[in-house]
Amino acid sequence: MSELARIITAADPAARDRALDSYCRSASTAALLDECAALEELRHASPNLYERVRALFFLAAIHRFHLPDRPEAAGNALLPFTGYQHLLGRRYEEAIRAFLAVQRREGPSAPVSSALAAAYRGLAFQTLADQVRRSVRAVRGNQWMFRTGHPGDYALRLRPELLSRGDTALFPVLRETTPVRMDLSHSGWSDIFFLGMDYPEGARVLNISIDLSLHGQAEPAPPVEAWLRVIDQPVLRLASVDLRAEAEITSLAEVFDFARDYLGLLKSAVIASGLIPPGLEGSGQSLADLLARLTGSPGLGIEIVSKVNDIPKGSRLAVSTNLLACLISACMRATSQIPALTGPLEEAARRLVAARAILGEWLGGSGGGWQDSGGVWPGIKLIEGEPAAEGDVEFGVSRGRLLPRHRLFGPDVVKPETRELLQNSLVLVHGGMAQDVGPILEMVTERYLLRSAQEWLGRQEAISLLDQIVAQLRQGDVRALGSLTQRNYDGPIQTIIPWAGNHYTAALIEQVRAEFGSAFWGFWMLGGMAGGGMGFLFDPKVQPRAKQRLAEIMSATRRRLEGGVPFAMEPVVYDFRINEHGSTAELREGARALMPPSYYTLRVPALLRQEQRSLTRSQRAELERFGDACRHEPALRGMTADLIDHLLPQSQDDPGSAPRRLRALLDDLGFDAAHHEKIRAELRAGRIGLSQNRLPVSSRIEDVGPDEIHDARQPLPDRLRRLGEQALADGALAIVSLAGGAGSRWTHGAGVVKALNPFARLAGRHRTFVEVHLAKSRRAARLFGSAPPHIFTTSYLTHAPMAAHLEREANYGYEGPLHLSPGRSVGLRLIPMARDLRFAWEEMPQQQLDVQKQKVIESARASLIQWALGAGEGSDYTDNLPLQCLHPVGHWYEFPNLLRNGVLRDLLAERPGVRHLLLHNIDTLGAEIDPALFGLHLESEAALTVEVIGRWLDDRGGGLARIDGRIRLIEGLALPSEEIEFDLSWYNTGTMWIGIDRTLALFGLTRADLGDEAKVAAGVRALAARMPTYITLKDVKKRWGRGQEDIFPVTQFEKLWGDMSALAEAPCAYAAVPRRRGQQLKEVAQLDSWWRDGSAAWLESVCEFFQP
Amino acid sequence: MKIRKAVITAAAKSQRRLPLQNLIDRDGQERSVLAILIEEAVKAQIEEIGVVVWPGDEAAYEQVIPEHAARVRFIPQPAPRGYGHAVWCAREFTAGDPFLHLVSDHLYVGAAAGACASRVVEVAEAERCAVSAVQATHESLLTVYGVVGAQRAGAAGDRYRIETVVEKPTPTEAEQRLVVPGMRAGYYLCFFGIHVLTPAIMDILDETVATSTTRVTLSQALAQVAAKERCLALEMNARRYDVGARYGLLTAQLALALSGRDRDEVLTMLVRLLAVQEHVDRV
Repeated sequence: MSELARIITAADPAARDRALDSYCRSASTAALLDECAALEELRHASPNLYERVRALFFLAAIHRFHLPDRPEAAGNALLPFTGYQHLLGRRYEEAIRAFLAVQRREGPSAPVSSALAAAYRGLAFQTLADQVRRSVRAVRGNQWMFRTGHPGDYALRLRPELLSRGDTALFPVLRETTPVRMDLSHSGWSDIFFLGMDYPEGARVLNISIDLSLHGQAEPAPPVEAWLRVIDQPVLRLASVDLRAEAEITSLAEVFDFARDYLGLLKSAVIASGLIPPGLEGSGQSLADLLARLTGSPGLGIEIVSKVNDIPKGSRLAVSTNLLACLISACMRATSQIPALTGPLEEAARRLVAARAILGEWLGGSGGGWQDSGGVWPGIKLIEGEPAAEGDVEFGVSRGRLLPRHRLFGPDVVKPETRELLQNSLVLVHGGMAQDVGPILEMVTERYLLRSAQEWLGRQEAISLLDQIVAQLRQGDVRALGSLTQRNYDGPIQTIIPWAGNHYTAALIEQVRAEFGSAFWGFWMLGGMAGGGMGFLFDPKVQPRAKQRLAEIMSATRRRLEGGVPFAMEPVVYDFRINEHGSTAELREGARALMPPSYYTLRVPALLRQEQRSLTRSQRAELERFGDACRHEPALRGMTADLIDHLLPQSQDDPGSAPRRLRALLDDLGFDAAHHEKIRAELRAGRIGLSQNRLPVSSRIEDVGPDEIHDARQPLPDRLRRLGEQALADGALAIVSLAGGAGSRWTHGAGVVKALNPFARLAGRHRTFVEVHLAKSRRAARLFGSAPPHIFTTSYLTHAPMAAHLEREANYGYEGPLHLSPGRSVGLRLIPMARDLRFAWEEMPQQQLDVQKQKVIESARASLIQWALGAGEGSDYTDNLPLQCLHPVGHWYEFPNLLRNGVLRDLLAERPGVRHLLLHNIDTLGAEIDPALFGLHLESEAALTVEVIGRWLDDRGGGLARIDGRIRLIEGLALPSEEIEFDLSWYNTGTMWIGIDRTLALFGLTRADLGDEAKVAAGVRALAARMPTYITLKDVKKRWGRGQEDIFPVTQFEKLWGDMSALAEAPCAYAAVPRRRGQQLKEVAQLDSWWRDGSAAWLESVCEFFQP
Repeated sequence: MKIRKAVITAAAKSQRRLPLQNLIDRDGQERSVLAILIEEAVKAQIEEIGVVVWPGDEAAYEQVIPEHAARVRFIPQPAPRGYGHAVWCAREFTAGDPFLHLVSDHLYVGAAAGACASRVVEVAEAERCAVSAVQATHESLLTVYGVVGAQRAGAAGDRYRIETVVEKPTPTEAEQRLVVPGMRAGYYLCFFGIHVLTPAIMDILDETVATSTTRVTLSQALAQVAAKERCLALEMNARRYDVGARYGLLTAQLALALSGRDRDEVLTMLVRLLAVQEHVDRV
């Protein structure tokens, strides 16, 4: 038996918990390949879920981290397009077969390993998700809902109490209120379903139900509420008063259309509660028939309203899961699935609600941990994984059950005075950062299964810290508890996942510690990562002051960092109270049978627009009752003004309004309105667009062989090194880092400056991209005796924050000349053409998602196409913050900008010896000043020497090709079909050595012309006309409400620098460089593997950070 | 154990008129629902029958069963306190004996007239324990029945040892507590409307009636009996018809007719009805 298979199948924990890395480091390549074959066999043969999944993660890790660096895997095999298509379609087995076939034929190679790693990893997560889905469906009490495919099979009936109108015409209202939960122990993410199911003894969480309010605004109350009642219309009416969304649903199909509006969570609850069972999806049956069976009378329907009380999104307090549970609980009470119509829930009912909430999260395409519905339970409880026993659906499949056990801590375990002390010590905040926890949860699962030594020790320490936290709670020592939560954050949490912490949080802790000293007892991270919901424990004596100061500190730190860190909202401080009841319900009857006041600001305007006689009996009665309540009840004082605000339109044209500011900004930035109109007209006429970006299909596109380019992956001759070193010593090189972009993939369109994002902790501190590039230049200055001038190109979006940041940081101590090159062009985004959206989503290969997530995304896409048609295809996109409506026009303009803004002219005046530029993207972290490569460029006498790398699976977007006989770069946008890219071995890193004089010649210019603005402008215009214009779709975030975000696809145009290589008169050279030099960090999700594959450590070795 | 007594409950507000409805029985005779039920009991060798009625209904009932007057005793239920309470009202009549119990809003159509009650009595006497007739019923009908949670008992294949009883459960509760091994998914053992009950039921109902302020269900009492002594569920092949349901009386009549002497006549009538309707639709 193979060594790794033995580790996986071992019964003895000491053997089972061995790390993969320790074996791989010492194994030969042949041994690793043999192990891969054995693991492949094991994963097919083993009936055990855990063994299969662990084998898959082992295979993924070997191919991602251990094989690519081996000399035996140095080949540059081409990946089969069919394998890629299988991968996108989530047909992982077929993809693996296709990639293994290439490996068998051509031997091991890094590109094939990159594809295998992705396929194995995808299959591992798919296997886990399938298992959780099967378990959720198999839970007793959930199964019947999947069998119910016809109203005739429907077995639920509404409780008679809800159907009795009594003396008034109003149906009673069932109101459920639920606390949210905070996680005192953090748990090391052990509440991820798979961890609980595989390692039940290690899955433990200390979870507290709490009421909340914004500091100083009101008494803490249960943050989420669900309201349910019968209505006298045969429809399902859903409303979210905090999102100000409502829908009157008349068909079953619409119930299952999750992303059509903001009511997806309510729909998930309606389905998961069994009110409309999931088995009815696609049945084509009538919703009215179903409602008639439910209510016992044709003509009646149900209204469900959700309300979140001022808690922003991303609070890390599981607001959405608890809202889902709250809604589910109300629906299950109403249909007798929970015996108690009112009051708190019994344990059996809580477990049922939790199981349905898991189902609801799966249906809605979201996913929380198993502790998230903790708000359904009261007070403080220990939630623990439970081993599966005979009779459980999980038995024989996984070691643990899907649902954990909740052990409530009564006053005998945690004394009332300890609870009081905790309330008086903790300052609970939302730091305001926008976060995506999804990648973190995947990292945790992967690392858990690989048992990497450090992380595994971290997990064991987290488990022991939980015991200590429980002990301190029992003893009532909150100060000691604070030091434990701080230890947990500093130690295990960031050991398991370094990305859980961030610069913003570190800065907050540092300031709080400095200001409060020993009265600050410790930091406490809530949820998946820091920056959103967080806790700070203080001596109760200083808590009131700490609340005030934390608000100020967070706000000031946010302002300092917001240029580079995505914030979704202004930070807030909460007041909170431990909720000792869990989810409870009350029935409001007679005159009290009204919905929450904010519901009426949403609903009344619509009712008032209706003709009086078309109102139903209930609606008339409700309006009368509401009017009466407004006149006489103090709680509804002020409603009249609110209603008028919602009834009458408000002026959009004050000087501070967004459209006004946008117009002013366009004027300031020299927006070319004539060019914009031309683009719009061509777009609408169909002359430009996504499909028109492409080269004619008749183009002859061929791969470039390794002998046609310079191979700089191995050490280059000393001759070149010496040549480069001499030129560097002579000051012949300047660095140009392209920093005009917002990194839309990095923050999903949040519109912050990527260059200023403190993305990773290097040499002990979080570093920004700018700082890293300057640190490399600092090292070069020391090595070669001359500090190269460093230019950061900027745009309308990045210039001011970059300038302010560099000034604040004193250029990170960089001793050489540092210039910003402000952009001279700006575009205004357009509403996309529906045909381009369809082309992008239907014609181009797309990553398929898990079946439920795919349904959600398809529904969202249909809505976005409707949005584009409704808003006017090709119209100006102005419905957002002004800066989010503008776009940079592509990096082709960056070099011309250097000419037009005078930066190059001034630089050459200051340093006439500068003859070449090293130009790279801000996220190409490994682009350092390599004298041998510089020597190669010098010797080649090229205008442009382009660095390329061997194409791995994720390297999409064009590359190097021979097109109609000429070797040149080609953008992915311009390839006649996606498939062609898979025949191209080399990927463009975006890094280029540029001979200044030769490149100026392409513009028809010399150094001497740089002072002549007109000549420069004419040169730029002439060349720009020869460059292709690409139409692209970009995601842009629109923020609203409390931390809510929508993402819209918008159209923009760009010209790209790589097309310079297509100019017949441009002498170009190409060099294949090592991957770590050419790799770009485009997405946050790449960080972890970048860290683990040694790239980060290598980068640290070529940086010299400023030591103030 | 010999079963000589039967209790028929007919006092519920919504059911009071049902036993008085006339139908044509399998033999082509016009009889009331109550008379058909009494004959079901008589064929099971029952000698005395107690009918629990709403006070004042006795005379009307007496009129529709003149041939059984001698063996029937009417027992008033003074207050509408539920099905369990109605059964409890017959405690003096049963006087510590086991008894057959039928509900007055159901009719049974088996292989032969009276075969259903006879079968239940026969099994109860052989097994010397309480027996409830049950039928595998789809979960969409759970809202109208008492449902048993049970394990198979004995080799006969039609008997189950009752572990619990729940009145009108939701499918969620049924799936958690009432799944019977071997039963098709989504099907549960629901009461058929015929039971043989032992004196233990009256002891439990005594206590419940004395302490409960809400309606007293029979299912809850049966669950308690099952926890104390052996109770069997007997799966029936026959069909039950709820005459109180929408078109229930019509369906029961058709079922009786199609299983009796006038089968051909009724079938012809139905075919003619369909043909005429078809013709009218075309015109």
